[in-house]
Amino acid sequence: MPEKTIYEEMKQKGVTRRDFLKFCGAIVGALGLTRLPTISADGAAYKGAKGFQPAQLVAQALSTKQRVPVIWLELQDCAGCSEALTRSQSPTLGNLVLSQITVEYHETLSAAAGFQVEEAKQAAMQKYAGQYVLVVEGSISPIDDGVYCTIGGRSSLDILKEAAAGAAAIIATGNCAAFGGLPKAKPNPTGAVGVWDLITDKPVINIPGCPAIPEVFTGVLAHFLVFGTLPALDSLHRPVAFYGNTVHDRCLRRPFYEAGKFAESFDDEGARQGWCLYKLGCKGPTTYNACASMKWCGGLSFPVQSGHPCLGCSEPDFWDGGGFYQGQSAPLDKPTVLAAGAALAGGAVVGVGAAALNHAQKKSHKQEPKAKE
Amino acid sequence: MNWTDVLAFARGPLFQVALLVFIAGMAYRLVRVIFLGWQVDKVPARGSKVGGAAISFLKGILIWPFVPWVKNTFKKNPVIYLAGGLFHLGLFVVLVLGTAHMLVWKSLLGFGWKTLPLPIVDWMAAVTIVAMITLFINRLINPVLKLITGPAEWANLAIVFVPMVTGYMMTHHLWFRYEALFSLHMLAVDVLLIWIPLSRISHFMFYFFSKAIHGADFGKRAVEP
Amino acid sequence: MESQIVLDTFIKETGGYVASQLEACTRCGMCAEACHFYQATGNPEYAPVWKIELLKRAYEQRFTLVGKAKLLLGIDKSITDTDIADFSKIVYEACTMCNKCSMVCPMGIQLGPLIHEVRSGFSEAGVVPADLMAAVEKQVEEGSPLGVTDDVYESRLEWVADEWEVELPMDVKGADTLVIFSSIEIMKFPENIAAIAKILNAAGENWTLSKKAREVVNFGFYEGNEERTIMFLQRVFDGAIELGVKKIVVTECGHAYDALRWTSYNLMDVPKGIEITHIVGLIGDYLRTGKIKLKEGAFNDGVVTFHDACKIQRRGGHIKEPREILHVLSPDAFKEMSPSHEESICCGGGGGVIAIKEADPIRYAAFGLKIDQMEKIGATTVVMSCSNCRLQFTDCVQHFNLDVKVAGLSQMVADALVE
Repeated sequence: MPEKTIYEEMKQKGVTRRDFLKFCGAIVGALGLTRLPTISADGAAYKGAKGFQPAQLVAQALSTKQRVPVIWLELQDCAGCSEALTRSQSPTLGNLVLSQITVEYHETLSAAAGFQVEEAKQAAMQKYAGQYVLVVEGSISPIDDGVYCTIGGRSSLDILKEAAAGAAAIIATGNCAAFGGLPKAKPNPTGAVGVWDLITDKPVINIPGCPAIPEVFTGVLAHFLVFGTLPALDSLHRPVAFYGNTVHDRCLRRPFYEAGKFAESFDDEGARQGWCLYKLGCKGPTTYNACASMKWCGGLSFPVQSGHPCLGCSEPDFWDGGGFYQGQSAPLDKPTVLAAGAALAGGAVVGVGAAALNHAQKKSHKQEPKAKE
Repeated sequence: MNWTDVLAFARGPLFQVALLVFIAGMAYRLVRVIFLGWQVDKVPARGSKVGGAAISFLKGILIWPFVPWVKNTFKKNPVIYLAGGLFHLGLFVVLVLGTAHMLVWKSLLGFGWKTLPLPIVDWMAAVTIVAMITLFINRLINPVLKLITGPAEWANLAIVFVPMVTGYMMTHHLWFRYEALFSLHMLAVDVLLIWIPLSRISHFMFYFFSKAIHGADFGKRAVEP
Repeated sequence: MESQIVLDTFIKETGGYVASQLEACTRCGMCAEACHFYQATGNPEYAPVWKIELLKRAYEQRFTLVGKAKLLLGIDKSITDTDIADFSKIVYEACTMCNKCSMVCPMGIQLGPLIHEVRSGFSEAGVVPADLMAAVEKQVEEGSPLGVTDDVYESRLEWVADEWEVELPMDVKGADTLVIFSSIEIMKFPENIAAIAKILNAAGENWTLSKKAREVVNFGFYEGNEERTIMFLQRVFDGAIELGVKKIVVTECGHAYDALRWTSYNLMDVPKGIEITHIVGLIGDYLRTGKIKLKEGAFNDGVVTFHDACKIQRRGGHIKEPREILHVLSPDAFKEMSPSHEESICCGGGGGVIAIKEADPIRYAAFGLKIDQMEKIGATTVVMSCSNCRLQFTDCVQHFNLDVKVAGLSQMVADALVE
């Protein structure tokens, strides 16, 4: 039986054509599409229909394409990204997009459990081989035969490799799946790594964050849905549309940074006035993410707006990047007073030694020139 | 090994080592010079040595340092004196009154201070870079400097220049990723810290010797230094 | 191995004073802007920083780890005899030790005294220009570089006393003040002797000359030789001790004043209770205390200017006195050159340079700066308090055929004395 297209499914659920077109427009906006994507999922140049406006293109795609099957793995994770996604406050976009994917496997959301759900996954992987999108949440522990993270007696690495083999593309959501995240923090006992450290033969999109911003996730998915391609990525495989700017670049407190007005503590006048949190350890200047522009909770706020410095949670190894409340420019290690004192004393001792040698040198020459007279 | 690792290394262990090398090296040089012995000056003074030294330092600081119209000699090559002066002023503003650097001091010393708005610091940094390029060109064309400039002098210029340029590029997110520039900046700073005790960049320490000697020598003769 | 002796002397002389200043140098080259020889010729080797190059290299190679490493790596080279010979010319012929460079050095390095240390090394090794060395030897043997032997001294003074009709007390035991002239004055500017005698007599000073201490010039100091500097200083102090004076007055000679007033104490035991001063300081005191009276406006024609000598003004401190005197003598005509006072430009003949024939071309070239200065204010008379400067001025005025009168300050004071 041929499956229905997305538009057909939506129509069946009572979505009018007018609402459908509005939805298409919303997706275009979410993706920031001002031009057609240039690279398709397989890396070849995208042969998009010329002459179409982006919204038309979206409408055409949705009325011809079928729903996308998704397999969602949770490895060394906290389910925070899933949680964020299900609580997403933008139903017009997120929910509708999510309704257009078929989540074939998701440990937390599945009604089934145990061997049943594992069997379902196997079935889905076979049925949709080469078509499904693999979403990974959580890091992978490849060391010591993977004993630190097993599901149904299989290591996280096995599970990932198996699922990745038939995937059309992989979306690593959250800092753990993208860069190793919290499990990778020093001393990293499980040897945690991100997906792209292990899977190199499939396109991997990183959507780092702790958790990833739901709208970014849905945006990427929508892009894949519409074009069947990946969005433009940066060197860390993050979609440029969302990770092109730092939090600092788009921060509403930025003018205070420029003016040199800083909160010195969390309860001073500067903090009450909403001044810049740079001195309180804000990592905004080095953190590439869309928090400041897309915000959280349906565009209500984001950490810096609500008075807390950015932790840099979407950056690799943010957990080891110095204290959260330590100024970003401050050194990570500094000599102890003892070490500094020892260096001072050591240098001084060598200096005294050198001076003594030099004195001896001076003395030995003291008579010589006069003897030549 | 990605940029984040390099950054963590450069901001962490390497910085610590560089700082210790700096402290030990400077202590070594200071002690070596002080313990070389000083002849007691038995010449009866006409004026005040302490006063002379005080004026010498005040002149060095207030008439920072070489405003060309202060001394007639400076009329001959004002651009270079301005470049030298602005370079040091800029260095002070950026290193002490720039917020990012103040936080470094704060983490090392345990206390901080008020800083200048970014645009001022930023412009001073630009001025400092331009001044340094001017000094660089001057070293290439001035006959005296051509004579006295060797590999060590070029190394000094380069090793001071790299942290300044990477720092400036970093605040403006120019051309490279922020972490890459931050890493290069910190690596360059670490190299600088290690290089200072080995080179003439340590002149900021011996400045206090030579200026005091100058002031005392003139002060005891009752001549304004 | 001259280089070895030079190096050894540098090592001997390098203490905290030298080392800390060598360490402070940033090699910015600004000192060149102050040096009249560099300014006049454009030869970069005349830059003050280059004159202490060997001292710096010796210090680095012998005293510092970095310097030793540089030597091992071949970045720096050992100092050779050729280096010594080359630098000897630069240090003796193109430096008057005027220390103007220390005024522009951003680090305040006392380049003059450091160059003196360099000369010390060269003099120990005997790498000194022949002309200068001949003068030194003459002073060792005859007591004066210009051949003022005992006989010449006595006959010259007798002649001065007759010619200008002044009383010149000789070897007066128990006199307060011992006045010692330089042989330049005795041989070239005898009128100066008469003038100073007149001033001292007018002020009622209980003064004397000495046969023993008859030469204040110290060519050992020019040469930079500690031993001979002390030898010549000792002759002066011996004379002073013999007569039991309380004060030694150096007449119009700059280098002698530097050696006697500002250096001797650190080289040797200076007899206690003897004050050393310069004639300009003394005249200034007389004028302030009213011991002498001067005719106001005695030299009020044309433009009168004052040339600050490096050793008497910048390095001697007698900057105010000449101006006080000239404001009385030439209240309207007096005009300062620019720069002046402690920042004045050197005449180009001091530091022994004028004694070296080979240095003549650059000595004349350096005087060009002085000519510019004088022309700028249209000076018709240039006054100075140093015979060595005066020698240079007189020679150069003749050489360049300038229409400027060169005058000694004491002489003008003597001429304007009101009985």
